[in-house]
Amino acid sequence: MSSIPTHQPLVCEEIFDAVKLGLILIDGEGSVLMWNNWVAEHSGIPAEFALNHPLEFLFPDGLSSPFKTAIKNALSHKLPIILSNALHRSPLPIYPLPVTQDEQKRMQQSITITPIGINEKEHLVLIQIADASVSIKREGVLKSHSVKLSKEATTDGLTGAYNRRFFDERFAAEFGRAQRKNIPLSLIMLDVDHFKLYNDNYGHPAGDKVLISVVKKLKSQLNRPTDVVVRYGGEEFAVLLPDSEREGGRIIAEKMRAAIYDLNIPHNHSKSADRITISVGLATYQPGTSCDAAHLLKAADTALYDAKHSGRNCVRCSLPSE
Amino acid sequence: MTFMTELQLDALTEIFNIGAGRAASSLSEIVGEEVKLSVPHVKLYQSSKINAEVLSLNSARLGAVKQSFIGPFNADAMLLFTEERAMEIVHDMMGSQVSIEDVAEFEQEAMCELGNIILNACLSSMADILNISLESTLPVYSVGETNATLQQIISEANQPMMLVLHIDLAIEKRLSQGYLVFLLSSSSLKELLIHIDRFISAI
Amino acid sequence: MPHRNDIKTLLIVDDSRVSRMLIRNFVLAKCPQWIITDATNGDEALKIIDHGTPNFCTMDINMPGIIGTDAAEQILSKYPGISIAIFSANIQESHRTRAAALGAKFIAKPVTEKTVAQALDFFEGKP
Repeated sequence: MSSIPTHQPLVCEEIFDAVKLGLILIDGEGSVLMWNNWVAEHSGIPAEFALNHPLEFLFPDGLSSPFKTAIKNALSHKLPIILSNALHRSPLPIYPLPVTQDEQKRMQQSITITPIGINEKEHLVLIQIADASVSIKREGVLKSHSVKLSKEATTDGLTGAYNRRFFDERFAAEFGRAQRKNIPLSLIMLDVDHFKLYNDNYGHPAGDKVLISVVKKLKSQLNRPTDVVVRYGGEEFAVLLPDSEREGGRIIAEKMRAAIYDLNIPHNHSKSADRITISVGLATYQPGTSCDAAHLLKAADTALYDAKHSGRNCVRCSLPSE
Repeated sequence: MTFMTELQLDALTEIFNIGAGRAASSLSEIVGEEVKLSVPHVKLYQSSKINAEVLSLNSARLGAVKQSFIGPFNADAMLLFTEERAMEIVHDMMGSQVSIEDVAEFEQEAMCELGNIILNACLSSMADILNISLESTLPVYSVGETNATLQQIISEANQPMMLVLHIDLAIEKRLSQGYLVFLLSSSSLKELLIHIDRFISAI
Repeated sequence: MPHRNDIKTLLIVDDSRVSRMLIRNFVLAKCPQWIITDATNGDEALKIIDHGTPNFCTMDINMPGIIGTDAAEQILSKYPGISIAIFSANIQESHRTRAAALGAKFIAKPVTEKTVAQALDFFEGKP
């Protein structure tokens, strides 16, 4: 800024109106002191009209609650505030050109609010408005492999359950933790009965819908953030319950079985019921025993096998030592 | 080697809880659901002693939102969550109609805002109650391998003392645990404690 | 200049020592004759009240054990004559509504001369 010649204020004013960004400066009472060209164009409100009026007056119906709270906060303390496009979308009535004033067509905005001219008693507040639609697309295009991978690395795209890769890491971590801290760990393995027959008869899209509903139902039986539902295979799921005794695990297993049964999704080609059901196997690691992670996994698998061969739509438990 | 008395820790915990209450209120206005945020403990550590184990962050990757505060004392403040939690939180904040794919695109800016809301609420609470004035930089979000990220945070800030606040955040009944970490120089910590003592002795 | 010279009993319930000290000091500044007892959580408060009912009570929400609004509900069902001010950092709408439904007053922290004055006004029966 130091090398700008003596007509500095005029140059700054030109810059202010040339930037491709909305700039609004408000005073300690919330009244507009400066309103740049970009804002005038994209709001349909000319600067001469906006100056010295509060924002609420200029946009009587148009400001979101969080935006008003943000301005209130900005005026009372001196900390910078952001209103991301992710969480707010379009807090101000700002539009792509030509301006339509149609609520549905507001511009996607990304807003930054910063204190300006701070002195002991008061300060001004600068509101910067950026068009977020540009950056969202760019973000999407430029998203590096590693970030996509890390997201893909943990969730199953169809159902939203965690995926097998996540399970392998988490199971090992939780088992190790259970051993170190001498706490129990329960593992449920379950699968959807006669799922292949369902797909063959009702079609794969319907089958996908079933899996999505099943996962949603399974998740709603869980309360603790450490309890996770994993899509282990095509129609096979695992539920990891750290710090859970056998009895607690059994209660959850039964709740899950009953909840899926109560979904009442008709399956006329199931050999065990008139609807979608699950077979559930449970195994629990007890601290102090010599069982390792592989044993626990095998035991849960064996219990599931047992459930399948006991007529399906049931819960079977096994001890890792069996 | 400064350490804090129980009463100083109590006062700081109260200050942060008031901040947390305000942040929760702002967050629930955005999310449209009840949001609970509380600070159950505050502890002081030497930065050199911090690693993933100490903070019990058992995950491969860590998400960190950082703001640098300046005032009568200076501090680098950070909100830390495991990356899994960060993704879940963003997903919960954006509403369940957003697909899993979209969440990753928005993670950076949503986490910046979450960090900004929580850090601002805690620091403005401190400013109000201790009657001081604080300014700050804009938030920056970074994600990386857990231990490496922690070490980088510590070496960049180059401050010997670390105030660690364990925080509990619950959105839509899903409970996430994270940390607020303040890196301070010894003189800043002393200054902070002077202000806290002033506040306590005025009671 | 003392606000009132009467003698009343007040129970302060809060797990933060600093908050208890602040409330106590601001109250005594206005009502120097009042007798003040402390409890560090809801369960302790319930026990204390069973041994002797105070006129007034301030109650935090987030404490170890029973949540403050539940404790307030229990206290008011047994002893409807007690005036309770819920004094909390947790300013969620749901708590405000619950407090009002119970007939208790909700006051957002921080504890200051002003917020304590609101509690005192409530205890005095002012709207």
